[in-house]
Amino acid sequence: MMVVNRSCRRPDQLREFLDNRLTADQETALVRHLDTCSACQQRLELLAADVDDWSDVQEMLSAGREGQCDAAGGDTPDPAATDDRVDQKPSLDFLAPTDDPAMLGRLGTYEVAGVIGCGGMGIVLKAFDRALSRNVAIKVLAPQLAISASARRRFAREAQAAAAVVHEHVVPIHAVAEARGLPYFVMAYVPGESLEQRLERTGPLAVPEILRIAMQTAAGLAAAHAQGLVHRDIKPANILLENGVERVMITDFGLARTVDDASLTRSGVIAGTPRYMAPEQAQGDGVDHRADLFSLGSVMYAMCTGRPPFRAETAMAVLRRICEELPRPIRQINPEIPDWLVEIVERLHEKDPAARFQTAAEVAALLGQHLAHLQQPTTVPRPPRLTRRRRFASPKRSWWRRPALAAVMLSTLGAGMVGLLGIGYLTGLFSAVSDLPEDRGLSPSAAVGQAYDGPSEQQWDAEVARVQQTIHDIAVGWFQAADVQPIDTWSESVSELKHQIEGLQHELNDQAM
Amino acid sequence: MNEIPDTRHSLLVRLCDRGDQQAWAELLEIYEPLIYRLARRKGLQHADAEELTQEAFVAVAAAIERWDPDPNRGSFRGWLFRIARNMTVNYLSRTRPENVGVGGTGFRHLLEQQPAASAEEATFFGREYRREAFRWAAGEIRGEFQESTWKAFWATAVEGHNIKETAHALEMSVGAVYAARSRIMARLKRKLQQLEGR
Repeated sequence: MMVVNRSCRRPDQLREFLDNRLTADQETALVRHLDTCSACQQRLELLAADVDDWSDVQEMLSAGREGQCDAAGGDTPDPAATDDRVDQKPSLDFLAPTDDPAMLGRLGTYEVAGVIGCGGMGIVLKAFDRALSRNVAIKVLAPQLAISASARRRFAREAQAAAAVVHEHVVPIHAVAEARGLPYFVMAYVPGESLEQRLERTGPLAVPEILRIAMQTAAGLAAAHAQGLVHRDIKPANILLENGVERVMITDFGLARTVDDASLTRSGVIAGTPRYMAPEQAQGDGVDHRADLFSLGSVMYAMCTGRPPFRAETAMAVLRRICEELPRPIRQINPEIPDWLVEIVERLHEKDPAARFQTAAEVAALLGQHLAHLQQPTTVPRPPRLTRRRRFASPKRSWWRRPALAAVMLSTLGAGMVGLLGIGYLTGLFSAVSDLPEDRGLSPSAAVGQAYDGPSEQQWDAEVARVQQTIHDIAVGWFQAADVQPIDTWSESVSELKHQIEGLQHELNDQAM
Repeated sequence: MNEIPDTRHSLLVRLCDRGDQQAWAELLEIYEPLIYRLARRKGLQHADAEELTQEAFVAVAAAIERWDPDPNRGSFRGWLFRIARNMTVNYLSRTRPENVGVGGTGFRHLLEQQPAASAEEATFFGREYRREAFRWAAGEIRGEFQESTWKAFWATAVEGHNIKETAHALEMSVGAVYAARSRIMARLKRKLQQLEGR
């Protein structure tokens, strides 16, 4: 029953308010009236939109997928992903009863409003902190992992260490506690979606965004590494993009270690998805902060291509790939990614930790420079390319993959291009046929086989050998015809030429497709 | 997304009305992520999903060539969004998404069909479309409001917080929070109606 009193506004005045047609004084008076009159409050809301619209707005715009735990996005058919889910519908029996009918239960002094997500380690809840009148996120260790006292202690210790990291790109931890025997920790609630949800929604990101997100992630990592903390589980699901400002917030620090021991001793199976794990981690070797950098490389790969770099049917197969194989070249999946960015990802993806960037801080700085150059090309200089230590992996694969194309290209080239090819040949572009020390890599056909695991691998061998021979002949002929300086002094022009060759190759590929 | 080759120029010539050009642009903004996402859900890889999205727009652009500006048929904008919806719903009801074909011919066929999807697919599409449209509309109108007004709306209408507590947290009066959320909601609704030409 609504009570209509004298000062209640007529519906048409409410309508006028919504259409911005009241004077400032009339508005002030109306707003004051709305402080107390519940009848007018409801009338205004129904004038603005009907009941379905109001509930739609909540469902459509809250990107946190609150509610149940369902498989993110639906159906990328990848069984390794299901390793990430402990339960489809988590049991919330551990919550204490609450007086508030809108809430699910209570945990400590927090009123639990709903479930944000579940992972291999536990459940993340959205809760309201009555004392401080703010929303928080609570991560509760999964009950089956909390049975051993040592696991619980370790969980608490890790959370304490993580709480010590204070940085704009790390989700702050407010408290660590235990309720009904279950350890949990309380973090700031970050409204927004995770990078994983974002990639599900939109696919690969634009280059400036990739740089921005990677740079902020690296900065957060640097802060944690400075405290001696290694994240161990960097992946898109743990990188939150704060609503509105799209600021990166890394979550779930240092907790993977808690899980490894608890779950490994129980069943010998690694919990959680290993898709972004570093090889040394996968092999159970000693892990240091550089493992996070490998994972960052995998995250950047996912941002460039829309999918993780290492995929397979089972978790074990994924780990094998991580340790032994190179992912499919980024430019084959997304040709719009510039090579300097591909190089950065490849450097982060080096199997040997000593070959990667050595600190998150230097990665953040480099990405920052690139971003600044992109935004102000005329005033900020482009950062120098990374020095290549190894053979030139991806374009060579695509090159050899189309030996027919290669033959066509050769036959239509003039002497100038032949010269380019010759130089390219001699400096290791086609490294398997050269003796240069840094090119003790795979032969082209083996590289093709590695990348394309397919029955057609054998077909390429004969073609490849034929083209190799042709190039060898050309190069020999060219260098006999001219006075040639030692190779080292060519390095500058060589990278220029390599560029041109790549460019041509891409053009030809595009036309051929 | 890359410019749709060859259709862009003729399209602009065809759509001489600025309002029509805007309708086309907004259709792209909403349907591009939407179709991509639906295609991924159907199991397509990224590159294939992207290609499919392109084909869909090529088909719609071709349909525009045949658009007949007859006042009895309603606005261009309304027509445009209707055919895009029909086409996408029909696409969803196919079991083999890759059979749609290249060059947009498959999509054109879908355009000409009467919507024949099951109620379930239509509902599913409806929700996904609405989700995308809401996101788009919220982004479009956000700049029209002050920070505190927007926060009041977001906290109570989207995140479901208690109105009194939000008012307290944002240092606004309760009346102001009610005013903010209703006003923004009304604006959102109007924006959505404008989108489809209603």
